[in-house]
Amino acid sequence: MRDEHAWAKRIVLVALLVLVLALPYLVGNASQLNYAILVLMIAQAGVAWNILGGYAGQVSLGHAAFYGIGAYTSTQLLLVFGLSPWLGMLAGGGVAVLFALAIGWPCFRLKGHYFAMATIAIAEILQIVVTNWDWLGGAVGLSLPVAETGWRGLVFNKSKVPYYYLILGLLLLTLGVSWLIERSFLGYYFRAIKDEPDAARSVGIDLTRYKLVAITASSFLTALGGTFYAQKELFIDPGSTMATSLSIKIALVAILGGVGSLGGPVAGAVILTAIEETTRAMFGGTGRGTDLIIYALLIILVAVFYPSGVAGWWRDLEHRLLLFKRRDRASGKRKTS
Amino acid sequence: MKRLWKLFALGAALSLAIVRPALAQEEIRIGVIYPLTGAAASTGLELKQAIELAADLINNGTRGLNLPLTTTGGLPNLKGAKIKLIFGDHQGNPQTGATEAERLISQEKVVALVCCYFSNVTNTASQVAERNGIPFVNPESSSATLTQRGFKWFFRTTPHDDLFVTNFFEFLKDVEKKKNISVKRIALFNENTLFGTETTKIEERLAGEQKYPIVEKILYPAKSTQLTSEIQRIKAASPDLIMQSSYLGDAILSMKTYKELGVSPDALLANDAGFNDSEFLKTTGKDAEYVLSREVWALDLATRNPLIKQVNDIYFERYKTNFNGNSARTFTGLMTLAEAINRAGSTKPEAIQKALVETDIPGSKLIMPWKGIKFDASGQNTLGNGIIVQVQDGKYVTVWPFDLASKDIIWPMPKWDQRK
Repeated sequence: MRDEHAWAKRIVLVALLVLVLALPYLVGNASQLNYAILVLMIAQAGVAWNILGGYAGQVSLGHAAFYGIGAYTSTQLLLVFGLSPWLGMLAGGGVAVLFALAIGWPCFRLKGHYFAMATIAIAEILQIVVTNWDWLGGAVGLSLPVAETGWRGLVFNKSKVPYYYLILGLLLLTLGVSWLIERSFLGYYFRAIKDEPDAARSVGIDLTRYKLVAITASSFLTALGGTFYAQKELFIDPGSTMATSLSIKIALVAILGGVGSLGGPVAGAVILTAIEETTRAMFGGTGRGTDLIIYALLIILVAVFYPSGVAGWWRDLEHRLLLFKRRDRASGKRKTS
Repeated sequence: MKRLWKLFALGAALSLAIVRPALAQEEIRIGVIYPLTGAAASTGLELKQAIELAADLINNGTRGLNLPLTTTGGLPNLKGAKIKLIFGDHQGNPQTGATEAERLISQEKVVALVCCYFSNVTNTASQVAERNGIPFVNPESSSATLTQRGFKWFFRTTPHDDLFVTNFFEFLKDVEKKKNISVKRIALFNENTLFGTETTKIEERLAGEQKYPIVEKILYPAKSTQLTSEIQRIKAASPDLIMQSSYLGDAILSMKTYKELGVSPDALLANDAGFNDSEFLKTTGKDAEYVLSREVWALDLATRNPLIKQVNDIYFERYKTNFNGNSARTFTGLMTLAEAINRAGSTKPEAIQKALVETDIPGSKLIMPWKGIKFDASGQNTLGNGIIVQVQDGKYVTVWPFDLASKDIIWPMPKWDQRK
């Protein structure tokens, strides 16, 4: 019974994977593929956020800081030293981790809402610093050269397909790391820290240390997404890569999709981007803000009716189906006997 | 069998739906992306109105107006094809701007884009256009870097920030000649954020090149509550001319402090922003008299250019408000693009791009105070310039360029104790 179910799950997963791999050849035009890329971008950030915010329960509303650090580090290394964005991406992740550890040390003493507030403040400060930092282009931002470089320099003008596979790869990497964490002792530690910090401490878990482990993984992966943003849009400024609105969106996809579950943020990203882009494409041109009203309304509906997110709803559904099947089988048995 | 028929009908309907946009040939689809929601929504809506008016004038004939395009309805060289604007909303977000540009190009099949007001959004959206080979006309973004990127599909009709500062010095040269004076002592008084620091850099460079001595340079902290010590320093340097870049609050505070401390240079030359805000005149009242400021457009230009009055009347009748520097530039952006498309006689992006490169519109056909529109290799209009307005009798009047002025410039301005 259990096995049978796991098999079905596996088949669905493989089918999904085949679908996303084939997607560039199924969609009609560059714009639709662009939407798919946007979904994957925010999904990747959401999954990365989920490691800290979901599993370890430390809700950060300042993840745009890591995203921005990733974007700025790789871009500046490229512009000043001509360093390949592949290396820039890793460097960005490294800088983000250093930054995360530096802020994590004091901030992890704070609990609950206070931690969230501290992260907002820190991200905001970073944004202000970069806005006034001439070397980083200040408020004007930095432009990357628009010249096709292929996979070496990660600039693709002719087609968006390489961007798609690149971000898909990043998302799978991020999911893979999450999955490994979920499976390992870290996953149990994180959940213990989230649910019962005092109990966790009493059984010998070093809270700050494991929170730092969570923020390290989370910030590194978030920064990778930031580099991707820079390579795709070829222009970064503090307002678009470090804004509080971005931090909130990253947290929102994870919360909407279901915190602390592997696929939740991905589902959240699909739904959120679909709502956002379709409402804007349909009503955005009118200038009456209709799109934003619908967008907000849908989010409120989800929050009210499925506070555990889409993943929670899915689990419910699965559970009910299983129960139904079992009952079915049980009643069947009774009849035959 | 019945089911098969149903399927067939569905398929036919679907394929029709897909093919339909391709059949519509008699319209020229132009993508327009502005901040229609968010913090700058009110400006965005103004720009939308201006560009809709431009499209309407073109589509319904320009009725005796001396605009770049003479038409009885639609574009004459394209058998009277009408312009269809397709709007996108970038919400002030660069990534959203790029996404909307992508959508308009690949889904809505626009042949050109007019966009985006914000310099940072213009940056990302124009990259999408560049990568797709779609002409991009930018009527309002003034960040100088936009035309330093070596783009082939990017065309900017408005002058950029460097040019505006260059205008200051051209203005000084003209005034010196006209009034037979010479400006020997300049003080720079700018705020310390992006706007002020960038301006200071350009001012220093140009003053050096043109041999204007700078006797004092102060970058004050923006949004100050106190400017007394800074203005004391200026007073001590006794300049003939103060060049100032400030946002509203600081502009008002500095005017009060000038009066208190009796700082009376021959002229105060401000760099738009706070000094051109309608609140500025209301709050400072008579003390604002004689202040000079840079502008991109002013309604009194109509006294020299009848076209401005004609077009503004139509605009006012429709929207119950006058053109301003932003909406007038947006209007001009679409006019420029439409004129090029008409000259190209084609809606192929390559043909439009080629026609834009060859654009040569005289100033008399524009509602802008420009000498015309002609793009250089970087896509920058080389014939644009700003104007200088002066507060006279509680109103902003154009005083430079002299051939566009509605009133004579008052220079030097009277000392504080000699004012009525």
